Amino acid sequence: MARVAREMVEKAGINVNQLVELLVKNAAAELTTYYYYTILRCNLIGLEGEGVKEIAEAARIEDRNHFEALVPRIYELGGKLPEDMKIFHDISACPPAKLPKDPTDIKAMLIVLVEAERCAVRGYTHICNMTAGKDHRTYDLSQAILNEEIEHESWFSEFLGEGPSGHFMRRGETSPFVSKFLR
Amino acid sequence: MKEFTEEELAQYDGKNGNLAYVSYKGKVYNVTGSFLWKEGTHQVFHRAGVDLTDALEQAPHGGEVLDKFPVVGILQDIHMPDMPSKP
Repeated sequence: MARVAREMVEKAGINVNQLVELLVKNAAAELTTYYYYTILRCNLIGLEGEGVKEIAEAARIEDRNHFEALVPRIYELGGKLPEDMKIFHDISACPPAKLPKDPTDIKAMLIVLVEAERCAVRGYTHICNMTAGKDHRTYDLSQAILNEEIEHESWFSEFLGEGPSGHFMRRGETSPFVSKFLR
Repeated sequence: MKEFTEEELAQYDGKNGNLAYVSYKGKVYNVTGSFLWKEGTHQVFHRAGVDLTDALEQAPHGGEVLDKFPVVGILQDIHMPDMPSKP
Protein backbone atom coordinates (compact mmCIF):
# COMPACT_ATOMS: atom_id res chain seq x y z
CA MET A 1 0.00 0.00 0.00
CA ALA A 2 1.13 3.55 -0.68
CA ARG A 3 0.18 4.97 2.73
CA VAL A 4 0.82 8.63 2.08
CA ALA A 5 -0.74 8.47 -1.37
CA ARG A 6 -3.89 7.04 0.20
CA GLU A 7 -3.85 9.73 2.89
CA MET A 8 -3.65 12.43 0.23
CA VAL A 9 -6.73 11.06 -1.48
CA GLU A 10 -8.60 10.84 1.83
CA LYS A 11 -7.61 14.40 2.70
CA ALA A 12 -8.98 15.55 -0.62
CA GLY A 13 -12.39 14.35 0.54
CA ILE A 14 -12.74 11.02 -1.22
CA ASN A 15 -14.06 7.96 0.58
CA VAL A 16 -11.16 5.71 -0.39
CA ASN A 17 -12.89 2.47 0.58
CA GLN A 18 -15.77 3.29 -1.77
CA LEU A 19 -13.35 4.30 -4.52
CA VAL A 20 -11.40 1.06 -4.14
CA GLU A 21 -14.63 -0.95 -4.28
CA LEU A 22 -15.53 0.83 -7.48
CA LEU A 23 -12.08 0.15 -8.97
CA VAL A 24 -12.33 -3.54 -8.06
CA LYS A 25 -15.77 -3.77 -9.69
CA ASN A 26 -14.43 -2.13 -12.84
CA ALA A 27 -11.37 -4.39 -12.85
CA ALA A 28 -13.81 -7.31 -12.68
CA ALA A 29 -15.74 -5.86 -15.60
CA GLU A 30 -12.54 -5.62 -17.66
CA LEU A 31 -11.37 -9.16 -16.99
CA THR A 32 -14.78 -10.73 -17.49
CA THR A 33 -15.27 -8.72 -20.66
CA TYR A 34 -11.92 -9.99 -21.90
CA TYR A 35 -13.20 -13.52 -21.29
CA TYR A 36 -16.63 -13.03 -22.89
CA TYR A 37 -15.14 -11.13 -25.85
CA THR A 38 -12.92 -14.16 -26.48
CA ILE A 39 -16.07 -16.21 -27.08
CA LEU A 40 -17.67 -13.46 -29.16
CA ARG A 41 -14.55 -13.12 -31.30
CA CYS A 42 -14.43 -16.85 -31.94
CA ASN A 43 -18.02 -16.70 -33.18
CA LEU A 44 -17.54 -13.65 -35.40
CA ILE A 45 -17.35 -15.65 -38.59
CA GLY A 46 -18.70 -15.57 -42.11
CA LEU A 47 -18.87 -12.64 -44.48
CA GLU A 48 -20.36 -10.27 -41.90
CA GLY A 49 -18.62 -11.57 -38.80
CA GLU A 50 -15.09 -11.48 -40.18
CA GLY A 51 -15.43 -7.75 -40.77
CA VAL A 52 -16.08 -7.14 -37.08
CA LYS A 53 -13.57 -9.67 -35.74
CA GLU A 54 -10.53 -7.42 -35.87
CA ILE A 55 -12.02 -4.58 -33.84
CA ALA A 56 -13.52 -7.05 -31.37
CA GLU A 57 -10.03 -8.45 -30.93
CA ALA A 58 -8.52 -4.98 -30.39
CA ALA A 59 -11.19 -4.18 -27.81
CA ARG A 60 -10.64 -7.56 -26.14
CA ILE A 61 -6.88 -7.04 -25.75
CA GLU A 62 -7.34 -3.45 -24.57
CA ASP A 63 -9.88 -4.50 -21.95
CA ARG A 64 -7.35 -6.96 -20.60
CA ASN A 65 -4.82 -4.11 -20.54
CA HIS A 66 -7.31 -2.04 -18.54
CA PHE A 67 -7.51 -4.82 -15.97
CA GLU A 68 -3.71 -4.94 -15.77
CA ALA A 69 -3.51 -1.17 -15.37
CA LEU A 70 -6.18 -1.00 -12.66
CA VAL A 71 -4.75 -3.66 -10.38
CA PRO A 72 -1.68 -1.71 -9.15
CA ARG A 73 -3.86 1.29 -8.27
CA ILE A 74 -6.21 -0.93 -6.25
CA TYR A 75 -3.31 -2.23 -4.16
CA GLU A 76 -1.66 1.19 -3.83
CA LEU A 77 -4.87 2.45 -2.26
CA GLY A 78 -4.96 -0.43 0.20
CA GLY A 79 -7.44 -2.61 -1.67
CA LYS A 80 -7.14 -6.13 -3.01
CA LEU A 81 -8.77 -8.49 -5.47
CA PRO A 82 -11.18 -11.15 -4.16
CA GLU A 83 -9.48 -14.51 -3.68
CA ASP A 84 -12.42 -16.34 -5.28
CA MET A 85 -12.75 -15.67 -9.00
CA LYS A 86 -16.45 -16.56 -8.95
CA ILE A 87 -17.03 -13.70 -6.52
CA PHE A 88 -14.91 -11.45 -8.71
CA HIS A 89 -17.09 -12.27 -11.72
CA ASP A 90 -20.30 -11.57 -9.82
CA ILE A 91 -19.27 -8.15 -8.50
CA SER A 92 -18.49 -6.83 -11.98
CA ALA A 93 -19.57 -3.24 -12.64
CA CYS A 94 -21.08 -4.38 -15.94
CA PRO A 95 -23.29 -7.34 -16.87
CA PRO A 96 -21.66 -10.32 -18.63
CA ALA A 97 -21.21 -9.72 -22.39
CA LYS A 98 -22.65 -13.11 -23.23
CA LEU A 99 -22.94 -14.66 -26.67
CA PRO A 100 -26.42 -13.97 -28.09
CA LYS A 101 -28.84 -16.89 -28.46
CA ASP A 102 -28.23 -16.86 -32.19
CA PRO A 103 -24.47 -16.45 -32.62
CA THR A 104 -24.88 -16.04 -36.37
CA ASP A 105 -26.85 -12.83 -35.76
CA ILE A 106 -24.05 -10.30 -36.17
CA LYS A 107 -26.27 -7.35 -35.27
CA ALA A 108 -27.11 -9.03 -31.97
CA MET A 109 -23.38 -9.56 -31.41
CA LEU A 110 -22.71 -5.88 -32.08
CA ILE A 111 -25.43 -4.86 -29.63
CA VAL A 112 -23.78 -6.99 -26.92
CA LEU A 113 -20.42 -5.39 -27.73
CA VAL A 114 -21.65 -1.80 -27.84
CA GLU A 115 -23.67 -2.19 -24.63
CA ALA A 116 -20.59 -3.53 -22.84
CA GLU A 117 -18.58 -0.53 -24.01
CA ARG A 118 -21.33 1.89 -23.03
CA CYS A 119 -21.41 0.45 -19.55
CA ALA A 120 -17.65 0.99 -19.32
CA VAL A 121 -17.91 4.56 -20.64
CA ARG A 122 -20.46 5.37 -17.94
CA GLY A 123 -18.36 3.71 -15.26
CA TYR A 124 -15.12 5.53 -16.03
CA THR A 125 -16.90 8.84 -16.55
CA HIS A 126 -18.24 8.39 -13.03
CA ILE A 127 -14.76 7.63 -11.63
CA CYS A 128 -13.29 10.62 -13.49
CA ASN A 129 -16.00 12.91 -12.10
CA MET A 130 -15.39 11.56 -8.63
CA THR A 131 -11.60 11.91 -8.68
CA ALA A 132 -11.08 15.06 -10.77
CA GLY A 133 -8.86 17.48 -8.90
CA LYS A 134 -8.71 15.15 -5.90
CA ASP A 135 -6.99 11.89 -6.80
CA HIS A 136 -4.71 12.77 -9.68
CA ARG A 137 -3.33 9.30 -10.30
CA THR A 138 -6.68 7.49 -10.35
CA TYR A 139 -8.07 10.29 -12.51
CA ASP A 140 -5.20 10.00 -14.99
CA LEU A 141 -5.64 6.23 -15.20
CA SER A 142 -9.44 6.36 -15.48
CA GLN A 143 -9.28 9.06 -18.11
CA ALA A 144 -6.82 7.00 -20.17
CA ILE A 145 -9.12 3.97 -19.96
CA LEU A 146 -12.15 6.15 -20.75
CA ASN A 147 -10.46 7.36 -23.94
CA GLU A 148 -10.10 3.80 -25.16
CA GLU A 149 -13.59 2.73 -24.10
CA ILE A 150 -15.07 5.66 -26.05
CA GLU A 151 -13.17 4.53 -29.12
CA HIS A 152 -14.43 0.97 -28.70
CA GLU A 153 -18.00 2.23 -28.39
CA SER A 154 -17.66 4.29 -31.55
CA TRP A 155 -16.27 1.34 -33.54
CA PHE A 156 -19.20 -0.92 -32.72
CA SER A 157 -21.69 1.92 -33.03
CA GLU A 158 -20.38 2.57 -36.55
CA PHE A 159 -21.01 -1.05 -37.53
CA LEU A 160 -24.55 -0.74 -36.19
CA GLY A 161 -25.14 2.14 -38.59
CA GLU A 162 -25.45 4.78 -35.87
CA GLY A 163 -22.89 7.04 -37.56
CA PRO A 164 -19.19 7.19 -38.38
CA SER A 165 -16.60 6.71 -35.64
CA GLY A 166 -14.45 9.38 -37.26
CA HIS A 167 -11.19 7.51 -36.83
CA PHE A 168 -9.16 4.65 -38.16
CA MET A 169 -8.36 1.24 -36.79
CA ARG A 170 -5.41 0.84 -34.48
CA ARG A 171 -2.12 0.74 -36.30
CA GLY A 172 0.43 -1.45 -34.59
CA GLU A 173 0.37 -1.30 -30.81
CA THR A 174 -2.84 -1.50 -28.81
CA SER A 175 -3.84 0.79 -25.91
CA PRO A 176 -2.50 4.16 -27.14
CA PHE A 177 -3.75 5.85 -23.97
CA VAL A 178 -3.28 3.17 -21.30
CA SER A 179 0.09 1.80 -22.42
CA LYS A 180 1.97 4.31 -20.24
CA PHE A 181 0.56 2.51 -17.19
CA LEU A 182 1.73 -0.86 -18.43
CA ARG A 183 5.42 -0.18 -18.91
CA MET B 1 -51.54 0.57 -9.05
CA LYS B 2 -50.05 0.35 -5.59
CA GLU B 3 -49.10 3.58 -3.90
CA PHE B 4 -45.94 3.46 -1.77
CA THR B 5 -44.93 5.70 1.10
CA GLU B 6 -41.19 6.26 1.54
CA GLU B 7 -41.33 3.98 4.58
CA GLU B 8 -42.95 1.19 2.58
CA LEU B 9 -40.48 1.62 -0.24
CA ALA B 10 -37.59 1.35 2.23
CA GLN B 11 -38.63 -2.25 3.00
CA TYR B 12 -37.73 -3.24 -0.56
CA ASP B 13 -34.00 -2.86 -0.06
CA GLY B 14 -32.92 -6.03 -1.90
CA LYS B 15 -31.14 -7.41 1.16
CA ASN B 16 -31.66 -10.78 2.86
CA GLY B 17 -34.00 -12.00 0.16
CA ASN B 18 -36.12 -8.82 0.03
CA LEU B 19 -37.23 -7.55 -3.34
CA ALA B 20 -35.34 -4.53 -4.67
CA TYR B 21 -37.49 -1.53 -5.61
CA VAL B 22 -36.37 1.97 -6.50
CA SER B 23 -38.39 5.00 -7.44
CA TYR B 24 -37.75 7.61 -10.10
CA LYS B 25 -39.95 10.59 -10.92
CA GLY B 26 -42.89 9.13 -9.04
CA LYS B 27 -42.78 5.60 -10.49
CA VAL B 28 -41.62 2.59 -8.47
CA TYR B 29 -39.57 0.03 -10.41
CA ASN B 30 -38.76 -3.56 -9.50
CA VAL B 31 -35.03 -4.03 -10.15
CA THR B 32 -34.84 -7.41 -8.40
CA GLY B 33 -32.70 -9.86 -10.33
CA SER B 34 -30.77 -7.21 -12.21
CA PHE B 35 -27.05 -7.99 -12.40
CA LEU B 36 -26.37 -4.36 -11.53
CA TRP B 37 -28.58 -4.39 -8.40
CA LYS B 38 -27.25 -7.41 -6.56
CA GLU B 39 -28.01 -7.33 -2.82
CA GLY B 40 -29.84 -4.07 -3.44
CA THR B 41 -26.68 -2.12 -4.21
CA HIS B 42 -25.82 -0.39 -7.47
CA GLN B 43 -22.29 0.75 -8.36
CA VAL B 44 -21.21 0.96 -4.69
CA PHE B 45 -23.06 4.20 -3.94
CA HIS B 46 -26.76 3.55 -4.55
CA ARG B 47 -29.18 1.50 -2.48
CA ALA B 48 -32.56 0.02 -3.31
CA GLY B 49 -35.57 1.05 -1.28
CA VAL B 50 -35.17 4.76 -1.91
CA ASP B 51 -36.16 7.44 -4.38
CA LEU B 52 -33.36 7.94 -6.91
CA THR B 53 -34.75 10.98 -8.71
CA ASP B 54 -32.07 13.34 -7.39
CA ALA B 55 -29.29 10.75 -7.62
CA LEU B 56 -30.03 10.11 -11.28
CA GLU B 57 -29.42 13.78 -12.05
CA GLN B 58 -25.76 13.13 -11.16
CA ALA B 59 -25.51 9.68 -12.75
CA PRO B 60 -23.61 8.94 -15.98
CA HIS B 61 -26.89 7.71 -17.49
CA GLY B 62 -30.46 8.90 -17.67
CA GLY B 63 -33.68 7.50 -16.30
CA GLU B 64 -34.21 5.55 -19.52
CA VAL B 65 -32.13 2.71 -18.06
CA LEU B 66 -35.12 1.97 -15.82
CA ASP B 67 -37.48 1.50 -18.78
CA LYS B 68 -36.64 -2.20 -19.01
CA PHE B 69 -37.82 -2.85 -15.44
CA PRO B 70 -41.47 -3.39 -14.49
CA VAL B 71 -43.30 -0.53 -12.81
CA VAL B 72 -44.92 -1.88 -9.65
CA GLY B 73 -46.44 1.29 -8.25
CA ILE B 74 -46.16 4.98 -7.64
CA LEU B 75 -44.48 6.89 -4.84
CA GLN B 76 -46.65 9.08 -2.69
CA ASP B 77 -45.69 12.70 -3.18
CA ILE B 78 -44.91 13.77 0.34
CA HIS B 79 -42.78 16.76 -0.65
CA MET B 80 -45.34 19.55 -0.82
CA PRO B 81 -44.09 22.69 -2.54
CA ASP B 82 -43.90 25.80 -0.41
CA MET B 83 -47.15 27.58 -1.10
CA PRO B 84 -47.77 31.15 0.00
CA SER B 85 -50.60 31.24 2.51
CA LYS B 86 -53.74 32.86 1.22
CA PRO B 87 -55.04 35.86 3.13
